[in-house]
Amino acid sequence: MSTQTISKSNTWKGGNSPFNVSYGKLMMWIFLLSDAFTFSSLLIGYGAIRYSFPSTPIEQIDELQLSFAENVQEKFANGADAHHGEFFIPALRDSGVFSEFQWPSPDLVFNHFPFAHGLHLPLIFVSLMTLILILSSVTMVLGVEAGQRGDKNEVTKWMFWTILGGFAFLSCQAWEWTNFITAGATPWSNPYGPPTFAALFFLVTGFHGFHVFSGVVLNIVIFINNINGTYERRGHYEMVEKVGLYWHFVDLVWVFVFTFFYLI
Amino acid sequence: MSSSNQNIDIHDEKNYDPTVWVPKAHSHGTKDIWLKFWILLGLTVIDVAFYFLMAPSMARNIIFIALGVIKAVYIVGTFMHMKHEKLSLATMVILPMFFIIFFLVWMMYEGNFWGSF
Repeated sequence: MSTQTISKSNTWKGGNSPFNVSYGKLMMWIFLLSDAFTFSSLLIGYGAIRYSFPSTPIEQIDELQLSFAENVQEKFANGADAHHGEFFIPALRDSGVFSEFQWPSPDLVFNHFPFAHGLHLPLIFVSLMTLILILSSVTMVLGVEAGQRGDKNEVTKWMFWTILGGFAFLSCQAWEWTNFITAGATPWSNPYGPPTFAALFFLVTGFHGFHVFSGVVLNIVIFINNINGTYERRGHYEMVEKVGLYWHFVDLVWVFVFTFFYLI
Repeated sequence: MSSSNQNIDIHDEKNYDPTVWVPKAHSHGTKDIWLKFWILLGLTVIDVAFYFLMAPSMARNIIFIALGVIKAVYIVGTFMHMKHEKLSLATMVILPMFFIIFFLVWMMYEGNFWGSF
């Protein structure tokens, strides 16, 4: 069982792996690099278009924090949902806060939280989504670690949690999209401001969400293969590692989607 | 350790066959993974704190991007196992991304001018 016996001068002369990784893993890295370019082009496009519009002035945002508080009182007084669709967006369009010539602050667009209708809670829901994705990344890497030790049952356990985390994230994203769409946003129109804002939101989060979906499908394939003992017979669990790389990449992209769409 | 049912040793570079050869896997333990989880959680909390406590400005944007890059280092380094790979592989993957950062900053700067027409 001697490994690492090939001298350095022969490394690049064929007949072995210069990077000391298997063919499949090297190809996965190259695929991820190309996918990183794709996402970068989307984020670069977003950055350029975002800064070709003026930001929402800070005074307007501060003013709105107060009007939100009144909004909640009104909601409880009338028993009607005085949130976005009926009251909020038309009023802000009239006052010029949401206009085609000004980039909306994400503060005023993504401020919902489940079971807290009418409350102004910016960033909290996306932070929860970020936490879910980081956690599922951790369970994935714990599954990879279990595979390195050849522990089949532990791989099954961690893969199960990873799949569950993936579904939780996708559900959150579906909820987020539903809110945005019911407020009247489509890829070509946007009640909050410039239509490109909605178009870019659907394009980038949709592209990322589809990656998450593909990742969940791949994870389920690995989960079933592992239960059937495919990797035990093969003698190594590298397939878990390769799909793990893809899953971590999806988490990595989300870090930047979170930064560029919600924080900046 | 489970054994391979193949006749050749899949870990041996002397019978290197790209369709089956794979380096011998060894675990680095779970302690480092959990440490990186708490760091990533902490960085996200710092993000949220800056979002609520600091007024929007270019300085705040730079803080957010810097925190994002630090998070990326931990995800790629530990979760994606890059710090245990060969330097040549890490260079191949990471070096092109530096040009992307340059391009991103450049295009944000360009976008600013499109808006001023």
